[in-house]
Formats: sequence, structure tokens, C-alpha cells
Amino acid sequence: MWDTKVAPRKLKKQFPNAVLETLSFRGEETVQVKREEILPICQYLASDPDLSFDFLTDICGVDYPDNEKRFEVVYHLYSMRRKTRLRLKTVVGEEESLSTVESVWKAATWFEREAYDMFGLSFDGHHDLRRLLTWDGYQGHPLRKDFPVRGEDFDRYEMPAEPLDAFSIMPEEDADERQMVLNMGPQHPATHGVLRLVLKLDGEVITDAVPYVGHLHRGVEKLAEGMSYTQAITLTDRLDYTAGICNNMSYCLAVEKLLDVEVPKRAQYIRVIMAELQRIAAHLLWLATHALDMGAMTVLFYCFRDRETVIDILEDITGARLTPSFLRIGGLAADLPEGIDKKITAFLDDFPRLIKEYETLLTKNIIWLKRTKGVGVISPQEAINWGLTGPVIRGSGVKWDIRKAIPYSSYDDFQFVIPTGENGDVYDRYLVRLEEMRQSARIVRQALKKLPKGRIRTRDPRVTPPAKADVEKEIHALIRHFKVMSEGVSPPPGEVYCSIENPKGELGWYLVSDGTSKPYRYRVHTPSFVNVAALPEMIKGHLVADVVAVIGSIDIVLGEIDR
Amino acid sequence: MELVYFLIETIVKVGLVFGVLMGCVAYLTLAERKILGRIQVRYGPNRVWPFGLGQPIADGIKAFFKEDVIPAKADKPLFVIAPMISITAAISLFAVIPFGGVIEFFGREVSLVIAKLDIGLLYVFAIASLGEYGVVLGGWSSYNKYGLMGALRAAAQMISYELALALSVMGVLMIAGTLNLVEIVQQQAGWHWNAFYHFQFFPFIFYLICGLAEINRTPFDMPEAEAELACGFNIEYSSMKFALFFMAEYAHLVAVCAIATTLFLGGWDGPFNLPPYLSWIWFVAKTGILVYFFIWQRGTFPRLRYDQIMRFGWKFLLPLTLANIFGTGLYMVLTG
Repeated sequence: MWDTKVAPRKLKKQFPNAVLETLSFRGEETVQVKREEILPICQYLASDPDLSFDFLTDICGVDYPDNEKRFEVVYHLYSMRRKTRLRLKTVVGEEESLSTVESVWKAATWFEREAYDMFGLSFDGHHDLRRLLTWDGYQGHPLRKDFPVRGEDFDRYEMPAEPLDAFSIMPEEDADERQMVLNMGPQHPATHGVLRLVLKLDGEVITDAVPYVGHLHRGVEKLAEGMSYTQAITLTDRLDYTAGICNNMSYCLAVEKLLDVEVPKRAQYIRVIMAELQRIAAHLLWLATHALDMGAMTVLFYCFRDRETVIDILEDITGARLTPSFLRIGGLAADLPEGIDKKITAFLDDFPRLIKEYETLLTKNIIWLKRTKGVGVISPQEAINWGLTGPVIRGSGVKWDIRKAIPYSSYDDFQFVIPTGENGDVYDRYLVRLEEMRQSARIVRQALKKLPKGRIRTRDPRVTPPAKADVEKEIHALIRHFKVMSEGVSPPPGEVYCSIENPKGELGWYLVSDGTSKPYRYRVHTPSFVNVAALPEMIKGHLVADVVAVIGSIDIVLGEIDR
Repeated sequence: MELVYFLIETIVKVGLVFGVLMGCVAYLTLAERKILGRIQVRYGPNRVWPFGLGQPIADGIKAFFKEDVIPAKADKPLFVIAPMISITAAISLFAVIPFGGVIEFFGREVSLVIAKLDIGLLYVFAIASLGEYGVVLGGWSSYNKYGLMGALRAAAQMISYELALALSVMGVLMIAGTLNLVEIVQQQAGWHWNAFYHFQFFPFIFYLICGLAEINRTPFDMPEAEAELACGFNIEYSSMKFALFFMAEYAHLVAVCAIATTLFLGGWDGPFNLPPYLSWIWFVAKTGILVYFFIWQRGTFPRLRYDQIMRFGWKFLLPLTLANIFGTGLYMVLTG
């Protein structure tokens, strides 16, 4: 195991003046650096062969209006080689700007745009610093603490006298250029929600593409700042609505890390069972829509038939089909119902036959091969540079799965392999996801077999209310029940980043606690967001029909891109 | 007097063919949905009357009463004419297709074909390519970029596949030595079907593939391409104009299958001889099987990409159909 303290130590030696402070909290290293030195430090971290922080997970801002320099910019880095994370922080005043790190990691492009949009941070040298989730001409920066939450606190919205040009970035076609600008979405059958793509076409060949997101922006990160930690669970299902349980799990793990709470083994196993079933359901939905986009209508109905079985099982356990909100901080809401293992086993026994059914329709179908092979190729180096996650990066041949790299929730108890592709094209991502479904089934089977007996919620008094019987008899139990229920949990001041392998990739939460019962900062790092940022790179030079194939293959959910 | 009889006979035949064809088209939509439903583990329409038999009627009524929207910037005359061109061309094809032998009717010899045209096959190709104008003009006139792309694709696809389609039936023409469809069928009588007896099986397959492209069905439904072009050429059409495009597509589908039956599968010739007034049963049965195949493959294949379709047409189908002409010539020389 690589010592996580090495990176801060080396950094301090290399940049004695720029590194202000190093902190360690819950096993996570944080380095506070000077604003002016952020670019050289990032360059050093990414290029040093010993550290090789080649993967940028996240950039986000935090607003402290009472501080002299109000904003903190937080960089989460990951080293593929050392399998370790590092957090860089720097302080920026309201009028100051800092250098962009686009040149180090391409993934920074969208993160910096988001920070600009949400906090008004400005990044010097950024090639395309525009608003991302809100529209051009929007007033204010929503995640600043002084931004109003309630409607009546806003100034009246005035329509601009001149309507904003929808093609402000890509002007209507130029007569000399002989190119056509095609607006695809936000209402389009194959953009999987409200993604808008503006394509510049030379005939049918795409010469340029600009994605516009944010049509589904609900301000989840802002909303959560007004909720208790437990209430905020309900916001998580609605991010990637195809995988509610996995989202719950990611958030709960982050809060548990912040509280330093140990979850009972049985609860961990049940979480794994549900998360893997949910992964199968999410992948089935992906296969259904992906195949439909390519014109293979029948696969859609096969997949939905089988997804129904999985969703039924999850409904039996949680009582909900789409947004379960079933996990609790420190465990689960309830134990598995009687006889559910028989249902799950019956499904798992049937599942290999079902996958074979889809494969007969697609895997060796000459038309499917023609449509998917060599389309939307992204090389492993590029994939890492773009910060891609999940099946997309594995399709490029990078063997990276958080379930193996940083095991959580007892994933190291189970045997499974990480499937990888070779060419990084649409076909490889298809194969990777099919194999992931098989591996998920394998994990569920093992977890069911090894499922230990015991509690499903931790005994920790801070998070678990006392039993009803005690509440009726003991006054201190009654008081504690009241406190836990009304106030919720209050983690100690600090910050954590915790992520899991969602069906679509790395889903992580960066939580900052100020010691109260509400999160001070509730930052969501979603896989679709980083994956869709690389979409223009993947479709340039291809045909219009390939756009649909590539969007399908990176499996985006706009609910989590726009948040 | 003869002229009056002839006119009455023709009008009755036209009415009959038109009526039956429209009925077929209406119920073909139901059949397609039912068969696809069967393939895709679902029921298909089953609400209107038993087995959903009233569904085509309900759809028709719905299409009639929908609001008819014409985009403000559309080229109105062309926009209105386009679906008419499509449906007219598709229906006119049936004028030369023979669906039965010669029958005796009130002492008059009546042959079961509307027009015994000597240039029947030429007529078929001329009219069939006219139908594509409906698609091209419809997409172009609707002032929509998706429609425009659909129209462009339709034009390109039409040129590429019309060529291969025409070449694929050259073998049959060489063997038959006539363009008259009635004579072509008569020559195939008694199991001498072109597809098997004269080794025209591969051209038959090529014809079916080109036919698929001709009527814009999956995997060649480029002008429509629901996923990327969001319905392509008919994106701006609503109400009965949309329904006309739809009917044209199905009528064209029946026509392609009927022509395949005529040219390759012996028309109304069957395994055993039925009386002449029932000979159309064989024709309908063979056409029906081909139609079923066309629906079936839609439930199986994904859609090809535009450039791949072009490449397939020019680099694969065209050389092979050309080779077939030489092969057939050789066969004719050898067998005399």
C-alpha cells in the first residue's frame, strides 16, 4: 500500500514557499497552496513519475463569505498508478482570479466552467469560459452563500430587450463556408433527455460540436445546503434516476466517512446486493435505449421485460421502483423481506440465458459491428486526461474500477473481474457493459451465499435512534430519539470525498461539515458530467448517425449532468 | 359497343384493385404491429374490436380529424403535392401487375390485370422512381434541416439502389425476352419459376435487398432514421398528409413484393392448378409471404449508416448484379 503522506511531503519539499499547510482528516490528505502557484504545482503533480496524479477527479468551489478571501477552490486528484487521492486547496478573493489547469488535464475545462458559473470564479487562460448549467445572461452565481433560495427574495426578472442568440457560439451557416449548423436537442429522441448539441456539418460529416447542458438544472447542491444530512438522501436518487440505490449508497458512505461510523457487515452485504442488482437494471436500460437508437427495436422490449424483474425485486425490498431512498446513514431502512433470496436466485439462474438472447441479436450481427466498430474511439491516455470514468474508460482499456481500486462496503470479500476493451470504441464499451452485468450477477450470488446475520444499522448513538420499546420506558431514550429525529446527525467539522463505482462511472460526494446538522457544501461529482464533456472529441469527423451511437455508448443521464 | 364493355371492365377492375389494395394497406399496418408485437414479447393493438381489428379504422378517423399544420416558411404547393405524388405513384404500380389468369365472364374473356402493357416493367421502374420525388420534395419543401437531410439521403439512396434494382431483374428480362409482365408470368407456368428454374435465385435476393432500400425500411430507412433525424423527410407533416406518406410506404411495400412474385416466383402459378378464377390465391399467398419477410426483418436488424448503405449499393450490389447479367448470358448461350 502506497503511503498517502508521501505526496504532501514531496510537494512541500519541491515548493517550500507555495505550500501553506498540509492536513490529514479521515485518511485523506489535503494540501493548502498559494493561488499563484497552482499551475506549476499541478504540472509537477501530474508529470512527476513517482506521484503521477494523472487523473483529475473534480474541481469545485466553496464559499466562505466571512473570510477575508472568500472562495476556496478544491482540486481532487487521483493517481492511477498509486491508487491514491490528493486534495489541493487554494484561497481566492472575490476580485481575484487563478490560472486554469486545462493544459494539465482536459477534464478541467468543464469543471472550471461550472465553478465560474456557480461561484463567479474566473480562470485565466481558459479557452472557453462560459456559463455551463445556467444560461448566458443569467444574473448571479447560485452556489454563493448570499444567493437567495426562496423565490420572493429575488429581484424581478426582466426579459432582455434583445433576445439571446441561441447560436451565440456557433453562428448560423456562413454562405462561403458551405457548412450547415444543425441543432440536435434538447427535444430529440436520441439525446437521452434534454441534452442539446449544436453540430456543424460538412455534408453529413461533423466538423464541430458544442454540447449545451443544464436544461434540467434543479440546484441540488444548493438545495442540500438547507437540508439535514438524512433529508439530503432523497436528493440523491434523482441524480442518476436509473440507479437510485447506488446513488444512495455513495452519499451514505460519504456521510459515514465524515462521521467515522462503522456499518454492520450484514447491511454492507445487503447494500452490495441491491447496488449490483441496480447496476444490472441500469445496464439493461442502457442496452435497450442504445440498441433502439441504432434501429434494433426488438432488444428494447427484451431488456425492459428483464429489467422489470429486477425492479420488482428491488420494489419488494425497498417499496419503491425508481427512487427508493432506502439507505440510511449507518445502515438500511429495513432488513430483506422473507423469501426474497429465492426470487433473486431465480432471476440469477435465468440471467445468462437472457444475456445470450440479446447477444444473438447484436454481438455478431454484421450491421451492429459496422455501426459500432471504430466509432467514437478514445485512446487510454486521452480517456485519463479527460477524466472519463466507468465503462467508458474501461472500454479504452484502462483497468480502473473503484470497487477494486479503493474497495468500499466489503467489495474486497467478493470475486469478480474488471472487463476491459481494447480499442475504446462503441463496440468495446458495449462488450464491457455486457460483461459487467454478468460479473454483477456473480457478485450478487456470492453476497447472498455469504450473507451474515446481525444488525442492519449501526449501534452508534449519534445516527441510530433507540428502539421503540426503550423510548416508551426510558426518558433518556426518548430524549435521544427526539434529538436524532428532529436535529439529525451533526458530523464534526471537516471534509471528506468518497466515491463509488456507479453503473455509469465514478459517483462521488465532497462533503464539507461545519459541525452543524446541515452540510456546508454538498458537492456531487457525477460520471455523466465528465463523460459528456468528452463527447465532441469522440464525434468529430464522424457522421450524424454516429452521434447517436456515441451518446448511447457513453450512457448519459441528464439528471446527474445538470443536477 | 366493344368500347363500352372495355371501359366497364377496366373501371370495375380498377375499382376492385384499388379497394383491395387500400384494404390491404390498412390492415397491413395492423399486421405489422401485431407481428412485431409477437416478435417483441408484447401484444400489439388489441383494444378496438376483437384482436384490434378496428384499429386501422380508428387510426384513419384520428388522422382525418387531426389539425393539419403547414410550417409558415414551407413551400406550400410542393408541401401539399409531395404526399400526393408518393401515394399516386405507389398505387399506379398495380396497373400492370397481373394477379391471375384469364377468366370467362358473361362470355367475355377477362384477364386479371388492369393493363396488359408491352413495356410493363419499364413502366414499373419509371413510376417507382417517381414515388421517391414525393419523399425528396416533401423533405425539401418543409423548411426543416432534418427534413432536408432526409430528402438528400432519399435522393442519394434512390439513385444508388434504383440502378442495382433495375440491373437485378435484367437476368429475368434476358430469359423472358419481353417486358410484358403477363407474358413473363406465362413463361414461368408449370414450376418454371425464374428464381429456381433459371438460376435467378441470387438476383432475387438482390432484388429484395434493393426493394428494402427502395421503400425505405429498416435497415435502409435512411430518409426517416428516427433516432438521428427524428423522422427525417416527414418531420413536419401531420394529419392526413402524414397518413398519405404512411399509406404510400405500405402500398409500395406490397407493390415491391408483388413485382418480386411476378418476376421471380411465377406470379399466379402454383404447386397445383386452381381454376382460373381462383388463380389469384397463389399470387396473394406468395406476395403475403414476402410481405411477412419484410416485416420480420424489421424486428431483427439494426439500422445501417448512410455511408455504409452507399458503399454497399455501389461496391457490392452493383458489381454483383452486373456479374449476374454476364452469368445469365453465359447460361443462355450454353443451354441454348
